[in-house]
Amino acid sequence: MNLDTAFWIALFFSTLRQTTPLLLTALGGMFSERSGVVNIALEGIILFGALTAAVVVERLEYALGPGPHPWLPWVGVLSAMAVGGLVAWVHAVVSIKYRADQIISATAINLLALGAPSLVLTYFYGNATNSKEVVNRLPLLGPEGFALSPLVYLAFLLVPLSWWVLFKTPFGLRLRAVGEHPEAADTLGVNVYRMRYIGVVLSGILAGLAGAYLAIGFLNQFVRGMSAGMGFISLAAMIFGKWHPLGILFSTLLFGFASALAIQLQGTEILPAVLVQAFPYVVTVLVLAGFMGKSRPPAAVGKPYEK
Amino acid sequence: MLTDERRLGVLVALGGGILLLLWYLAPWAVPHRLFGGEGVLLSPFGHHLPQGSLPPGYRDGWLLWTFYPSLAWLALTLVLAWIPKPARKLYLMGILGLGLFLLTYLLFQASVAQVNAGAERPILRRYSLGLGSYATLAYSLYLLLLARLFAPGGLAFLVRRRGVVVPLFSLLLASLLGGVIVAVMKKAPGEAQSLREALMLKLDLITYTYQLLYSPLVNPSGFLQSLLLATPLIFTGLAVALGFRGGLFNIGAPGQLILGAIAAMLVGVYLPGPRWLVLPLAILAAALAGGLWGALPGWLKARFGAHEVINTIMMNYIAASLFLFLISANEYKFFGRTLYLPFKYPGYEARSHEIRLEARIPHWTELVAPGGELSFALPLALLLGLLGYFLTRKSLGHRVLLGLLGGVVGYALGGLLPGPSVNFGPDLTSVRLNGAFLLALLALFFFHFYVFRTVGGYELRAIGLAPKAAEYGGVLAGRKVVLIMFLAGALAGLAATHYVLGGGIDEYRLKQALPYSVGFDGIAVALMGQNTPLGVGLAAWLFGILLTGGLQVNLQLGISRELVAVLQALIVLFIAAGGFLPRYFTDPLRAAEVEVREEARKREERGEAR
Repeated sequence: MNLDTAFWIALFFSTLRQTTPLLLTALGGMFSERSGVVNIALEGIILFGALTAAVVVERLEYALGPGPHPWLPWVGVLSAMAVGGLVAWVHAVVSIKYRADQIISATAINLLALGAPSLVLTYFYGNATNSKEVVNRLPLLGPEGFALSPLVYLAFLLVPLSWWVLFKTPFGLRLRAVGEHPEAADTLGVNVYRMRYIGVVLSGILAGLAGAYLAIGFLNQFVRGMSAGMGFISLAAMIFGKWHPLGILFSTLLFGFASALAIQLQGTEILPAVLVQAFPYVVTVLVLAGFMGKSRPPAAVGKPYEK
Repeated sequence: MLTDERRLGVLVALGGGILLLLWYLAPWAVPHRLFGGEGVLLSPFGHHLPQGSLPPGYRDGWLLWTFYPSLAWLALTLVLAWIPKPARKLYLMGILGLGLFLLTYLLFQASVAQVNAGAERPILRRYSLGLGSYATLAYSLYLLLLARLFAPGGLAFLVRRRGVVVPLFSLLLASLLGGVIVAVMKKAPGEAQSLREALMLKLDLITYTYQLLYSPLVNPSGFLQSLLLATPLIFTGLAVALGFRGGLFNIGAPGQLILGAIAAMLVGVYLPGPRWLVLPLAILAAALAGGLWGALPGWLKARFGAHEVINTIMMNYIAASLFLFLISANEYKFFGRTLYLPFKYPGYEARSHEIRLEARIPHWTELVAPGGELSFALPLALLLGLLGYFLTRKSLGHRVLLGLLGGVVGYALGGLLPGPSVNFGPDLTSVRLNGAFLLALLALFFFHFYVFRTVGGYELRAIGLAPKAAEYGGVLAGRKVVLIMFLAGALAGLAATHYVLGGGIDEYRLKQALPYSVGFDGIAVALMGQNTPLGVGLAAWLFGILLTGGLQVNLQLGISRELVAVLQALIVLFIAAGGFLPRYFTDPLRAAEVEVREEARKREERGEAR
């Protein structure tokens, strides 16, 4: 067993790459839960975002002809964010306006994300499991050999930004108030419903971004089930990070490290790959079970508000 | 008010307008259709839309003439709806409409039969009424519903049945949206000359898709196949429903199913012994393994407060890894050392060794007709068992005992009775429906018995409805949560017996193709069935039908089978939103409030009259 420097460097960069989608999604989940709406639909929204990014970029390539189009992947990213926001909006309408059980409504969206991509893929490509590969992936930024996708930088930049938004702006104050005590916020003239809609749609936009990263940053196509539980792991990371951007940064790094380790160990003879793949999931269960201090969710989370 | 009589006329006019539009735009009947969906569409306005040709000798007969009485009938309903006290008249019109539809159906069957009678092989095989005729049926049912709704106490009648109304309405909404998806995704076959023809082709395509989806209802092998696919759904639906009843959301059915499958395989392959011992042991092992896999997140919730939703999902992924670990290879490296496993069957495919003959659940033909002779054992056992349970007026224990006794006596008696010899065709014997279906029916009975007839079930429901009150009432909440998750897991684990011990896929093995995602479908089944055993059974059967029909849709129209998965997801979404029905339907408190107000208003009116 020899693990040299190259292994550790590869592990480090792999950790960053694995953390990115988790971080984006977990920050999104934080905005949603801080506003009082549980959004376990993030898993499905990642898939919808990934599907949109891959299909939009591939179809545009098909229409525009060959050749590099440096702006093309960004169109894919934007459309993935739009679709992510739209799907989250559906969850918001059903759970805020129609006071549905938030977990059931979100599960419906996750179920939809299992079936709907097959219909779209069959329509465009004639097979139900993956899209065609795209040529215009997201570019890499950074020095030769250490380049990372711009979305990786963006994800880590979003940590201080969302901390600032959440704790230093009136918007953040209102968002937190709506999740802690909607009646009180309502009395003070805060539009509870609107804040919750914003929180949920924001989470969808970020999860859609994570999906775009998976489809045209990490890979170059959409593959069925490519989110592989990342949405759920993100939610666990969010709970572990105590609904706080900094906590979320550290917990997603932990999960990112677990997945990166799983990937890096696959080629070696240390542990069988099929078992190593279960590693992040086991970590999630252990973390939720008690390797964490007392954490308190926003008081009104999961409860529909009725004026 | 919701049932103000002044609104009835508007509602009837609205429905009638849509009906008239559909009569104009949609085909009346499709006597001849090709495999890919192309057909000859008949419409009473103008004539055929040829996308093929009708065989010589086909006569419409009086079929298209049924359109004119239908038109007169529609005009009459529109007039009657505006006359005072219309409810009773609308009943009559609804029944009349059903009669008209029946007449259309019979005339159409006769005209098709006339052609087919002349030939050696039936010339017209894919024929059906069109959306125009079905619209008559739908409008008649709509009239009956309105008539009931606007009769005294009509709204209360509907609200009391909200457990049926919400799922059915959600199914209807999902179907409508599914129709839009089909229309967008699939180009209609054939050339359209005008906008009206283009619309007609689209509407026919949607109708045909749904006809294919529900086709298992009318052909025997499809019917058996739908029962086959419903079997695991009953188990996983119950697994989710039991959790819901206890206030828990069990998304872990896929993982519990996998563990059940692994345990069933281990016992079924490696435990030698006589059938009476090994088969029950294998089934029990599946239940136990699934139960333990479910109990773990339950325990984590009770002990650490970890939410069961994320934990059960994580357990699904862990189970999937474990499953692959066991059957995808026999040689693994652990820190440089090699580990050998005995489970994978040699060869390219990831699958286990075959289940021993003694541990197999018999195929349905062996149960219904062992040795080619129809057996009365099972039906008699079922009949006497139910009679024993439902006809005795004694304590619960006595009733169960009598029920069981009746079952045993029935089985013995039926086994002794000689049966006529039967011979099933290959299309029927090839359906891999097996005894696990009976096990599923038993599970439905167990659910009913445990949840609604025992103290434990009462406690379970109490925890689900009001956890704090239940705890105050003496329920040990922590222990109960673990127990609920154990039972739910056991039910999901039993679903695996269908695949592994019953050969539900195509072999008596544990295979990589194990469709463990039916655990997720259980969520839709439980919601659709409103967490009642009868509802779960019916919902599972409905999805079994749709899944079977989905194969035909894929085969004939090239639309992905996942259309059914999308429909399921939409149904879940719509049920979660209470079918987008007014609060009145979904919230019993609101319903009571409205009723009280309505009563007060009526009393006031009467007072004024006096």
